[in-house]
Amino acid sequence: MLECRNCGAGAPVDEHFCQQCSRILALGRHGDYFSFLGLPRRLGVDPKDLEQRFRDLSRKFHPDYFYNAPPAERLASLERSSYLNDAYRTLRNPSARIEHLLALEGLPPATSDEGGAKVPPALLEEVFALNEELDEIRESRESGGEGAALRARLDAARTPIERKRDEHERRIRELGDRWDSEADSPSGERLATLTALREQLLERKYIDNLLATIDREAAGLGVS
Amino acid sequence: MSNVVGIDLGTTNSLVAYVKDGVPVVIRDASGDALVPSIVSIGEDGTVIVGREAQRRLLTAPASTVYSVKRFMGQGIEDVHGDAGLLPFGIGGDPGGVVRLSIAGQEFTPPEISAFVLRELKRRAEEHFREQGEFDFEVERAVITVPAYFNDAQRTATRDAGRLAGLEVLRIINEPTAASLAYGMAARDRGTIAVYDFGGGTFDVSILKVEDGVFQVLSTNGDTHLGGDDIDARLTAEVRREIAGAAPEDGNDQMVQAVRQAAIQAKWDLSSEEETELRVDPMAGVPGGYRRRMTRTDFERMILPLVERTLGPCRQALADAGLEPKDIEGVVLVGGSTRIPLVRRLVHELFDREPHSELNPDEVVALGAAVQADILVSGRREMLLLDVTPLSLGIETMGGVMSKIVLRNSTIPASGREMFTSFADNQTAVDVHVLQGERELAADCRSLARFRLRGIPPMPAGLPRIEVQFQIDANGILSVSAKELRTSVEQTIEVKPSYGLTDEEVERMLIESFEHAETDIDARLLIEARNEAETVIHATEKSLRRSDFDELAAEALASGERQRIEQALTEAKEALGGADRDLMLQKTEALNKATRPLAEVVMNRSVREALAGKNVRDV
Repeated sequence: MLECRNCGAGAPVDEHFCQQCSRILALGRHGDYFSFLGLPRRLGVDPKDLEQRFRDLSRKFHPDYFYNAPPAERLASLERSSYLNDAYRTLRNPSARIEHLLALEGLPPATSDEGGAKVPPALLEEVFALNEELDEIRESRESGGEGAALRARLDAARTPIERKRDEHERRIRELGDRWDSEADSPSGERLATLTALREQLLERKYIDNLLATIDREAAGLGVS
Repeated sequence: MSNVVGIDLGTTNSLVAYVKDGVPVVIRDASGDALVPSIVSIGEDGTVIVGREAQRRLLTAPASTVYSVKRFMGQGIEDVHGDAGLLPFGIGGDPGGVVRLSIAGQEFTPPEISAFVLRELKRRAEEHFREQGEFDFEVERAVITVPAYFNDAQRTATRDAGRLAGLEVLRIINEPTAASLAYGMAARDRGTIAVYDFGGGTFDVSILKVEDGVFQVLSTNGDTHLGGDDIDARLTAEVRREIAGAAPEDGNDQMVQAVRQAAIQAKWDLSSEEETELRVDPMAGVPGGYRRRMTRTDFERMILPLVERTLGPCRQALADAGLEPKDIEGVVLVGGSTRIPLVRRLVHELFDREPHSELNPDEVVALGAAVQADILVSGRREMLLLDVTPLSLGIETMGGVMSKIVLRNSTIPASGREMFTSFADNQTAVDVHVLQGERELAADCRSLARFRLRGIPPMPAGLPRIEVQFQIDANGILSVSAKELRTSVEQTIEVKPSYGLTDEEVERMLIESFEHAETDIDARLLIEARNEAETVIHATEKSLRRSDFDELAAEALASGERQRIEQALTEAKEALGGADRDLMLQKTEALNKATRPLAEVVMNRSVREALAGKNVRDV
């Protein structure tokens, strides 16, 4: 519960304005971007609807409109606007949206404990092949191999990794849909879905790093 | 309530605007000129001279005259070494501290110099409101614009300048966004637009999405050290190289300024002409003078690398917004440097679209600032500006690594939190180093401030949980607060800005400026008298030099009148050399009177000449 600092009336944590005196409420310890924006805790988000909510709330909170208000309301407007901007930025991005959901549901963040050093088992084969290929390309470059040919090899090395990424995208979408349809399912099932989501997200991050490595390698070859 | 204004505090020129009956208008002087050159000169008697008059003094008293001070706002001495060689005034200050400019034997910080310009704009606005017959003509509150790519220190320095000028700074807003507001007033459309703002000293690009009156910036990028100044410097360097044989290698300040003025003139000419002649007067320390024909092609070849440097930030801004050039539905040009045809051509090519330039690129930013000022005080809600922070904000962590807390292009206001703990038992303080920038290493980022979290309750190492909150407000300016969560003890934070003034310094300067306020008013009256005298003297001398003077004199002057004019001229010049305002006014008036018959005949002649060969319908 929040308490209105103006009239002292109580307000639910997701209210933005006091129902009694209609003043802006100070932001309590919130933490749930979905409910702040009036959305259910689901991964399927309509970008247009999200954007419209963001604009509508911006028009309600923005410090521009509290310039002549008392200091407490100015502060509340600043805090609510900052929080809204954070919420919108997070929910707009599909990966950040999943991470936020994991945190809300009490799961550990989708970051590897070993700082990314450990190869996810599902990717062992691809990582092994890629590293071998990269080593050869580097060697060949140092002994003066032709740029265009090396670039072609890099592009070829990219293909299986990109295929993996697309696979993950698809699986993450499926799991997201499953989570959204499981609202009334037993908590064990829902947890299993989230755990699988977290696993996929971890792997996807690893894949993104691999792609970044290939990009760096390509940049090292220079523009051919 | 006193009036509110919007101010474009530019590198080269500044101007002030306000909203009149719902429409933003710029405030002009009696001659219709809206631009106040951002130039400050200190007179021999210590008076402060701002604007056109200070600009004239660039040639006569270069060592006492400062221009382009915006480049030094919020900068340290190590940032500006590159500029120092080009400028006639001294640049100093301690390493790791704020830059100090020495002019006419006095030291000034950049915010103090900018405050002189702001004061002039404030005065101009107040004069305007008084002439409009407003009872409450005072101007105490303003929105001031800054380049979107300005960092925290540069924004804070701008706000300090406003305070020093006696203004409550309602808001600092970004120049490209201000421009989009001004355009938004005219055409209430929706879509994704790019604002390309190439000014006197800085370059910005912002990508915005406009819908339902909400102007949301998606991304911004730029270069705070790239502008018309650099184009002028490029041209000046080229010319100086060419005349090095005839003139001393280093040249003197006066010569440099004369060459620079000639270069600027050539730049202007070549925006409309295909060819021009760059001329430096023999008087300016170049024996025999200097002339050089310059075609637009020559000019473009020289400046192409500079203009091309604006394209990288444009591409980065597009990438950050997740857009391609084809997604941009409108391009708006802002800033004087966008008058250069080459600039327009490259922007057109990049976005494959004819850019908008319906509004005067020199005035559009001030108009937008006026709109924002009006929104703030009137509570009008039709339009809302949502801007972003141009640079990531973070702190230095173990090993000198930059750890980002608020990412660049985050919509502001924005906040971020970071947890700190202690490394030793009973440690009661932790040092925090706040940074801004995109690089990985703290040493490569901009140091914003260092502060010490004090008053941590004594506990075993690692046990305190200190939450530091970083809040970027709608001005893009940072504030920091901290709390130990186990004990809920609020920490005191002493923020020492790395390249700014402390609050105490600003207070002290404010008090000093009040002490000087009285002498400043006298000084202003004297300057106005001096300006008036100079204008009349200049006009008289010009008439006397006319090739057809004898013919005119025969037509208009009785015998002996020429002697009378020359006598009055000598007396006016003598009075101008002194500091007696009344005498100056009296002699100016006398000169005015003596030259009136001559002035009339000159006027008639030029009207006749202007009309010659035209038929009635053209007139």
